[in-house]
Amino acid sequence: MTPRTRKSLESVLDNLVWFMLIVVLALFSALIPNYFQIGIFTNIIEASSVLGVMSIGLALVIIAGHMDLSVESVAALAAMAVGILFCSAGIGMGIKLSPQWLMIPASLLVACGIGALIGLFNGFLVVKLKMSAFIITLASFIWVRGIVLAVSGGRSAQDLDPAIRWFAIERVAGIPLSAWIAIACFVVFSVLMAKTPFGRHLVMIGGNETAAYRAGIRVTRNLIIAFVLAGAIAGLAGWLLAIRTSGATANLGVGLLFNAFAAVVIGGVSLKGGVGALPGVYAGVLLLSSINTAINLMGLPANYTQVIHGFLVLAAVLLDTFKQRLRQRLA
Amino acid sequence: MTEKLLVLNDIRKNFGAIEALKGISFSIGKGEVVALLGDNGAGKSTLVKIISGGLQPTSGQMLFEGEEFEAKTPAEAKAAGIETVYQDLSLCTNVDVVANFFMGREITRKIAGIPFLDERAMEEITTKALTSAGTRIPSMRTKVEHLSGGQRQAIELNRFAHWGGKLLLLDEPFAALGVEQTRRGLDMIRHVASQGIGVVIITHIMQQAFQVADRIVVIRHGVVAGDVDRTKTSPDAVIEMITGQTLTGAGPVGKQ
Repeated sequence: MTPRTRKSLESVLDNLVWFMLIVVLALFSALIPNYFQIGIFTNIIEASSVLGVMSIGLALVIIAGHMDLSVESVAALAAMAVGILFCSAGIGMGIKLSPQWLMIPASLLVACGIGALIGLFNGFLVVKLKMSAFIITLASFIWVRGIVLAVSGGRSAQDLDPAIRWFAIERVAGIPLSAWIAIACFVVFSVLMAKTPFGRHLVMIGGNETAAYRAGIRVTRNLIIAFVLAGAIAGLAGWLLAIRTSGATANLGVGLLFNAFAAVVIGGVSLKGGVGALPGVYAGVLLLSSINTAINLMGLPANYTQVIHGFLVLAAVLLDTFKQRLRQRLA
Repeated sequence: MTEKLLVLNDIRKNFGAIEALKGISFSIGKGEVVALLGDNGAGKSTLVKIISGGLQPTSGQMLFEGEEFEAKTPAEAKAAGIETVYQDLSLCTNVDVVANFFMGREITRKIAGIPFLDERAMEEITTKALTSAGTRIPSMRTKVEHLSGGQRQAIELNRFAHWGGKLLLLDEPFAALGVEQTRRGLDMIRHVASQGIGVVIITHIMQQAFQVADRIVVIRHGVVAGDVDRTKTSPDAVIEMITGQTLTGAGPVGKQ
């Protein structure tokens, strides 16, 4: 095989998810009536904002060679905290701040702060005490959801303050601001991962932690920051979730974890660590979102969505394995 | 060569009940190449790890440039000017040649206070360093996983030749190299040493030790079994020191 064919094959493998996205969109547009509309496409982008933001954090940690299963529960807790503080109905306390816009940074700070704290807790246990990331974050997944249930008492908060709701209503170029926030996050974190020493170090740690350590990279510090970032971003996802649903319920966001997982893996991030980039993850999120939209449009019973999602996760992991084998053959 | 770069004084290391090092004392001068020889399990790698900050000695004292020194992490050793090439390579195969060459010391440009990688500058320096050392690598942007064992070894060696530091530790650096690459590697070591950098090389191959070293230090059962000038000894004598048949210039082997 010549170096050039190898190179082009590799770039196809690296960007496989974008090709899949185009093919899937083309297929749906051709086969499903009413799919090919601007409204549908903006809808896909809008529907993928929460999942997208959550996937960023998950992807960071997986690229660095670890795992964070707690992102879904962290998002739910952040949403519940924002809901309780700034909702006026249900269990909401309806706190008002003046001027009104102060509520935006305040709610953001609460959401991201909660996420960052849980991320710090996870990171400390996993990195400093060298416990298994899978078990630690699985535990967090459970206890954080438990806190959501406990503080809400199983009830919900409704009617989020309009000053915060504004992000879901105001649109620029047909897309609500909340979706622009997700896109902005992808841009910022893509640059962070690809163009800064911190991102480069995370990729190297994911590839060969020992080598990175020997080269004088502060592995412990970087990994803990990755966990804190993942938590804070999950908090942001929760904030968006609260805005979208104008409140919070105790079972808000259940099942998002596996969608995020599927999006990350479909997006080309290897579960082995060290491989993958964030633009691909966004494509993965859009891909999942377009499939969801197709299911809705075809009028399939909602009960089947879960079956399809399950198979998607399976397909994603299979794809990952297949790609790894192909790469080994190319090498 | 008169000035001592690193002095080891009665370094001991225990792993539980096992005494890996039972009091190692020797020194390395500036610009001196010391070959560290010894049988498997003699304690060579443990010693190198202690100098490079990967392990802490149980007791003993190290003087680096005349001052007491003990690295808690490889980063500290590196900051002091001690570079290490390990037996198993320290490359991240999932990133490209440039990224590996600059691992942990990336060139950045600050834009609005945020450091961004200066890829072009790094690629230029890497290309220059590798081509001047005669290493042929098709593209600096190739991921290291696609390179051969020899090419990987060359990147690692060039990295140290380039960054230099004050003391270079090599733990069996030529295990995976061909004849020509080994010769180039040995040349590189002489070149590094001629700049006044101290070099400690661990090797199993007697011929290499005699080709490159100024002094040969033999470790046996965790003690220095011989510390001789290369010109004043022969491969046969060194082999006897390693296997323990004679005790030329030896420390207290076996009877303490």
